[in-house]
Amino acid sequence: MKNNRNIVTCLAGTALLLLISYIALGIGDQWISPFGSLSHDDALIVWQLRFPRLLTAFAVGGMLALAGAWFQVLLGNPLAEPYVLGVAGSASVGAVSALVMLPGSTIALTAGAFAGAWLGIFAVMSFARLGQNRLLLAGVVLAAFWSAVLALILALLPGRDLVVAFAWMMGDVSRGTIPSWLLLLLWGLALACGMALSRSLDALLLGPRHAEALGVDVKLLQRRLLWSASAVTALAVSAAGTIGFVGLVIPHLMRLIFGSMHRPVLIASALGGGMLLMMADSAARTVLAPVELPVGVLTALVGVPVFLYLLVKRVR
Amino acid sequence: MLAVADLTLLRGGNRLVESFSHAFAAGNVHVVLGPNGAGKSTLLLALAGMIKAESGDVNVVIRGAAARSVASCSRQTLSQLMAWQGDLPSAEFGLTVGQRLLLAAGDSPDEMRLCAAVDAMDIEGLQHRDMAALSSGERQRVELAAIMQRDVPIWLLDEPTSHLDLRHQAAALAMLRREAERGRLIVTVLHDLLQASSIADEVLLLDGSGRVEAGAAKTLLTSQRASELFGLPVHVCTDGKGQPCLLPEFIGGNHETA
Repeated sequence: MKNNRNIVTCLAGTALLLLISYIALGIGDQWISPFGSLSHDDALIVWQLRFPRLLTAFAVGGMLALAGAWFQVLLGNPLAEPYVLGVAGSASVGAVSALVMLPGSTIALTAGAFAGAWLGIFAVMSFARLGQNRLLLAGVVLAAFWSAVLALILALLPGRDLVVAFAWMMGDVSRGTIPSWLLLLLWGLALACGMALSRSLDALLLGPRHAEALGVDVKLLQRRLLWSASAVTALAVSAAGTIGFVGLVIPHLMRLIFGSMHRPVLIASALGGGMLLMMADSAARTVLAPVELPVGVLTALVGVPVFLYLLVKRVR
Repeated sequence: MLAVADLTLLRGGNRLVESFSHAFAAGNVHVVLGPNGAGKSTLLLALAGMIKAESGDVNVVIRGAAARSVASCSRQTLSQLMAWQGDLPSAEFGLTVGQRLLLAAGDSPDEMRLCAAVDAMDIEGLQHRDMAALSSGERQRVELAAIMQRDVPIWLLDEPTSHLDLRHQAAALAMLRREAERGRLIVTVLHDLLQASSIADEVLLLDGSGRVEAGAAKTLLTSQRASELFGLPVHVCTDGKGQPCLLPEFIGGNHETA
């Protein structure tokens, strides 16, 4: 019975993933069926442009969803998420600062994003003592602050380009700063880390003391979670700028479908986050084609109502 | 057995427990009593090895094994020696009652044990409910059923009956008594003197000044001692079975000087 359900879920998930990939490859300012016999130009568009972009969107979305799920259990708050906590914003500031100082170096960019993510976590965690809801408030305000700092740096850049600024502030998966295959590999690594921790994460759902009593070394787990969540956020930001709310919407949805245990929730979030961002990116490329919307605009349009809904539900 | 040697506990600069030494015998129910803020929960956390003592040591002595200091054991090792239960756990993430119980049961859930706990704590039919949708009394019953999944020598409980109605208080106390008779060492914080006098083999009286008085319930739980501890008159009565029990005078007593 339970096995049957698992098989059905896996099949449905795979079918959905394939369907979304098919549409994402085909759709654009012109529809190209990826399975027809392609002309040279069409093959170039599908496999050299759209395919890497699709992989990037998938990996970044999946990583953001994983980071969201980790931050939520770490802080014991289902509303936590890299963007809401301001961590994505600070990573973005770090990345852009590195970009200004060492233009063209992907390593510097990623290192900058890491440093920024750490700064952001440190900033928001120093408010953790004030309690759950104030922590979130601090996060949101810090996010606004990082966004202002980012805008300032971008405005001071010589030959400033609004499109570049937009890409950092609202996300863009087409930049290809990190090769898409590498992102996919890191996505897998992040998921594996999450799975290795999943039993302890389940216990942590009860709260730190209860987890400790069940034999979890909570301090060590929290350190690991902080490292993983900030590393994954930094990677996602270096690859695609700040994209909000994927880490909020997806784990919430997956908990509704699969319950609270982390084994299914993390797998489903890593896949579902990827699918959501593939869809969002496809839509961002097409709704106003040939103008491309920043993909974060679409995730925020979906994510903010979900955030508000959860906030109201929590307070009640 | 749990052996406490020269334990001193601080909280917010107050010496709640000072140079306390005591041996907790297995098979007994030890009830921790005292006013709010006297350090009952702090003592329990120290016994569980979850907070650092200012000085002194807590040792676990299991038959046939050397004494082990809780400060030097890993969380994994400690979890196989003792179970702890404090405030109701977080219900933020939509855990169901069944999942909550499985988390307590760990790697090898025991079907019989699970059924017995569900039965004893009267939570049949709640198994598939979201923890957040339960009343605090129901959640506390789930927590008691959860600790029943922990087949470890020592149970440390912080007010396990605070949200329960009368019938379930009785069920909880009877369960603790049964478990103690099977050889488990139970230390529990309680506020209700009736409950304490009906279940305690030993009591620990904390008044927040640092002094901890420990001893047999029969000799220590007197009307005078209880009156001093809580600052209101407490009378000794006889219950329906002729056993002595403590009855506080809630209204009308001279609460300041009693």
